[in-house]
Amino acid sequence: MIRLEKVDKFYGQAHILKDITLGIGKGEFVSITGSSGSGKSTLLNLIGGMDRPDKGRIIVDEDAISSFTDEDLTLYRRRKIGFIFQFFNLLPNITVFENIRMPLLLNSTDDKDRVSSFIRRVGLQGKEGSFPFELSGGQQQRVAIARALVHDPEIILADEPTGSLDSQTGEEIMELIKELSSESRKTVVLVTHEAYLSRFADRTLKIRDGVILS
Amino acid sequence: MTFLHLVRLIIFRNLRREWFLTVLSVVGVALGIGLFIGVKVASDRAVSSFESDIRGMNTAMNFEIVDSSGIDFPESAYRTVLDMVDNCLPVLRAVGHMQAANETITIEGIYTARLMSLIRPVSRQPYDLERFLREPDGVMISKQLAEALSLKKGEKVTALVYDREYSLSIVDVIDEPSLPAKIVLMDIGNFQDYFQKTGYLSRIDLDADAVTAQSVMAALPPHLALVSKEQSLQDRKALLKSFRYNLQFVSLIAILVGLFLLYNTVFLSVIKRRTEIGILRGLGVHRMTIVLLFLSHGLLIGALGSVAGVVFGQVAASFSALAVERTISTIYSPIAISGTLITVKDILLAFGLGIAVSLGASALPAYEASKVRPSETSREGSFEGRYLKYVGLLAAAGLASITFGVIISWYDYNAMPFDFPFLAYAGILCMIAGFGLASPFFLSNVLRLIRLPAEKTFAATGQIAINDMQGNVYRFSVALMSVAVSCALIIALLTLIFSFRGSLRSWIRQNINADVYVKPSSCSSNFCFFPLSPELVELVSGFEEVDAVDRFRTLHIDFFGKKVVAGFGDMQLQKRYRGGHQELAPEEAGQDKSVGISSYLGFRHSLKIGDTVDIRTPRGSEQFVVRDVFSSYSTTAGFIYLDRQWLKEFWSLDDATQVALYLREGSDISRFIGRLKEAVRGRYAVDVMNNDELRKRVLSIFDKTFAITYAIEAISIAVSLIGVVNTLLTFVLERKREISVIRYLGGSWQQITRVLVLSAGVVGIGGIVLGSFMGLAMSVIFITVINKISFGWEIQFRIPYLYLSGVTAVLFLTTLLSGLIPARVARRVDPKRFISFE
Repeated sequence: MIRLEKVDKFYGQAHILKDITLGIGKGEFVSITGSSGSGKSTLLNLIGGMDRPDKGRIIVDEDAISSFTDEDLTLYRRRKIGFIFQFFNLLPNITVFENIRMPLLLNSTDDKDRVSSFIRRVGLQGKEGSFPFELSGGQQQRVAIARALVHDPEIILADEPTGSLDSQTGEEIMELIKELSSESRKTVVLVTHEAYLSRFADRTLKIRDGVILS
Repeated sequence: MTFLHLVRLIIFRNLRREWFLTVLSVVGVALGIGLFIGVKVASDRAVSSFESDIRGMNTAMNFEIVDSSGIDFPESAYRTVLDMVDNCLPVLRAVGHMQAANETITIEGIYTARLMSLIRPVSRQPYDLERFLREPDGVMISKQLAEALSLKKGEKVTALVYDREYSLSIVDVIDEPSLPAKIVLMDIGNFQDYFQKTGYLSRIDLDADAVTAQSVMAALPPHLALVSKEQSLQDRKALLKSFRYNLQFVSLIAILVGLFLLYNTVFLSVIKRRTEIGILRGLGVHRMTIVLLFLSHGLLIGALGSVAGVVFGQVAASFSALAVERTISTIYSPIAISGTLITVKDILLAFGLGIAVSLGASALPAYEASKVRPSETSREGSFEGRYLKYVGLLAAAGLASITFGVIISWYDYNAMPFDFPFLAYAGILCMIAGFGLASPFFLSNVLRLIRLPAEKTFAATGQIAINDMQGNVYRFSVALMSVAVSCALIIALLTLIFSFRGSLRSWIRQNINADVYVKPSSCSSNFCFFPLSPELVELVSGFEEVDAVDRFRTLHIDFFGKKVVAGFGDMQLQKRYRGGHQELAPEEAGQDKSVGISSYLGFRHSLKIGDTVDIRTPRGSEQFVVRDVFSSYSTTAGFIYLDRQWLKEFWSLDDATQVALYLREGSDISRFIGRLKEAVRGRYAVDVMNNDELRKRVLSIFDKTFAITYAIEAISIAVSLIGVVNTLLTFVLERKREISVIRYLGGSWQQITRVLVLSAGVVGIGGIVLGSFMGLAMSVIFITVINKISFGWEIQFRIPYLYLSGVTAVLFLTTLLSGLIPARVARRVDPKRFISFE
């Protein structure tokens, strides 16, 4: 489903990713671990179409997204990608319901029942009208998970989703991600520096200094 | 030292980082202050011109003797005065117009021997006194005039003086700072001969104590008045007072809009910096230090705005001076404003204003900053949430303020406790403040109303825009008020101008009825006070096409202790040509001792038709019955109208300052005018206009006098748009993470642009709706209260719907487009920077 072929990425003089080649199958849950600054998030941004490689190709479902225009990448993210961030990144001035609904609206669809169903699935019934600042960290991340899945993307990209949470809450979140993604055979790429989270993944890749270790 | 460090780290760095926002805020403050200073400088210079005009050449003199009607008087009076006072000087004065340079000049005939010792020529060579006395057209001009028109000693110029064109030889150029700026001096004897004023004087200047002055006054004939120079100046200043204050107030509104802008900037800075504030508080920084930090922010922008305001003010002063000069010359008397350089006092005033505006605008945000709790800083979106509960209370306070404003304006209209409508202006400010307090409530409800349609129409962008505004209702209501104040100003001023124009048109239709009008070319005011040559009047009247001639004369007379303009015309003739050729009753024909008064005088002195008034004439006080109270827009000093027979009987005058000609039926008016102009060519300098031309000219003068208000409007619009851009730009800068999230979710730059443009649009529409209510209220107060108390003009209230629709549409579109600027800034946001936290 996702193929990276000899991908290099530079930020200025810094060589962040070096000759990365990897493949991720449909429905596969892959975790990429590495220390801070190893290039994990950069890899995620490339797969998510937020950036382009300086060398090499990235192919998703036979589409070479590395040569997409900005407009194409926007549509690619809108339809195929669901992001989950470390710091939740909910829109602060809209409610839980509206945050989850946002990807549907961006796709010019609207399915309030679907939104409500996801709110229940993530255990936030009764919180539909709350604003993000009224929720705990764990609750906010549940909203973020629902938002990442509501528009039925093929790929979920999770960047340190438990980084701002305590260990128990983190476990619960990971369980939720695993459960919801495997239900509909989503391809999940999880980036984390916490090795113990790899147990949720089908496969773990290590990255160090921009190179994928076997 | 710690505080200065904090200022450098938190405030300076912020100002530098967000340089565009800083520049916007500085420009907004500068425009308001600059406009205010520019208008002030122009009107101050007008008063200075009056002052140097009154002092004239004889700066040491403290009294002047003039004819109470403002006309030239026999010079025999000078002998009487000279017998009693050593230090006195005769003066003849005329106003001239140099057509080529379009310049108004004052020509003074002076007692050469006495005065020449007081002045020195530019050339530092002894002036050519012999040539000055010998040449009948020899003049000396001021250095300022010479420099302004690039004139030199030895050159010849032409000027229109009275009703002719005259040539003047420049004998020398005078360098004397105390002289009026555009003065031309002539020996008094030469003046009398050259301009055919033999045996006459315009005034006698004298230096005397109060007791001597009393004795002199007692010895003078009754038509002459002895007035202190100071009193003359105060009287002239009083005439200008309403005009000046009204102009100044309108320019004050531009400062008000700048104040909103600065408040917005500091308020948004507080919101952006709340994390830093929380950390500082956590580190032990006092609340007062936080307050002072943000006051410094405001003061810095205010100081920079003041500096820029001084520069802009200097430019504005030059343009304002032209407009003010034109208006005063038209409505009052010709003046020449020069030297529009801003003084040290004006600069200090600009800085004082800048500091006052900064402190006023940043006080509340600074106080709010000191109350930020550390726990708030990590919960985005909670800052304004805390204050949402006060929206209703603020709305109630706003309503109370608006009501109070209406009440005091109404009180001013009925009771008129002051000569100037201070209470009405205070009422307007209260209303603006009231609308400001109620604006968050208004915006909340507008958002509630449009939420569903916006989401249905614009989907995600609609939802984001409406919700972002709802979550930041206070900051967006500040932007809304910027638009509202601008819109209100447009509506109020345009309604005033349109209503005024409509009333003026009606007045023109009723009063400008003759076929042809003749007046001296040198006279640029609405009323001329020097007579046309009798030969000219006879020549004009002698044409076979002429059926009737209305010889019109204007004088200044005392009316209830103040100088007003008196017009003398043929009442019977006018009413005949206006209302048909039927016979009129004596009172209708003005044959009884009747007078018509302008509605301003009726209002000021509670006079109505049938009342009796005393009018001081050279033959003593005479009683006249008020037969008519009419609208008059030609002057703000008050105008009365009498039949010509009284001019002859009580003032012993039978001349005319302007003539109106009624032609026989079937006459070719254009051909007649052609023949008339041919007959006077080379002999007299007069303007000959047909009815249509005079009507257009009157309207054109009206349009030009309002030119300065258009400039004020344009600047206010610019400042309010800056306010909208400022709000949205700060919104973008603060919402970089949110914009990045939208990009990660698959939102396009077009959609983000739409959010910003939609926000700008809501602010625009909301501002225009609120501004419409404000503007309507303001225009009612301007027309019915302020105008009436200040100028006494009767204006029929008329709303120019079509015109206003067009202008507000332009304002809306411009507001909408102002959302594009922040959208461009948003495009430069790199989403990866604000989402990755490695």
